[in-house]
Amino acid sequence: MAHFTLPIGPAGPVLSAFVAVSQARHAALTAAGQPVPSPVPIRALVDTGASCTCVDASVLAALGLTPTGSTQMMTPSTGATPHEALQYDVALAIPAAPPNPQPFYKHTLPVVGSELSIQGIDALIGRDILKDCLLTYNGVVGFFTLAF
Amino acid sequence: MALEKELETYARKLPELKEHEGKFALVHGDVVDVFASYEDAIKEGYGRFGLEPFLVKQIQSVEQVQLVTRLLVPSPV
Repeated sequence: MAHFTLPIGPAGPVLSAFVAVSQARHAALTAAGQPVPSPVPIRALVDTGASCTCVDASVLAALGLTPTGSTQMMTPSTGATPHEALQYDVALAIPAAPPNPQPFYKHTLPVVGSELSIQGIDALIGRDILKDCLLTYNGVVGFFTLAF
Repeated sequence: MALEKELETYARKLPELKEHEGKFALVHGDVVDVFASYEDAIKEGYGRFGLEPFLVKQIQSVEQVQLVTRLLVPSPV
């Protein structure tokens, strides 16, 4: 399996990744003669407490995305009543490391638009991604490994 | 409100969509089609409607609530 190991920082298990327009939106933009936005580099927190992947609104805006979905969502800020939240289709790439540098790549993934940048991160990698990965959190030595 | 028309259409047609539980509805205006996967529905949405608004939603009799234990503010609809 491709994998990488990174130190667990003050913000937790944070990794670098790229968010881009989905494969289908890429094709639609090209067909319409519109420019395709470049992938946006992000800092993402691996969060087993998130059932879905969330991306900061500034990243979605940089990609010129419009919502293509909605979902019911509960967070500590929403209280006991779920809120309807917008979803956006994106592509997500998480680079691996040599000797097996094949990245984790999803060409079409629904993500929830959120306000995260105030916490110093651009995204939460949720269990919808982790279901396809092996995550090892070694707090004793201060490293985590993600294999996929 | 983003996708207002599509969300209304989905809610109105949900009783007849329930036979496709777990599949994905593609909604544009009053038009609804059903696909086996999220990726197929998104691909067809862009292929058929281009950059116009459309909604892709998993068909669920009881909608699953996404839970995030971290403090964040989801973008409102």
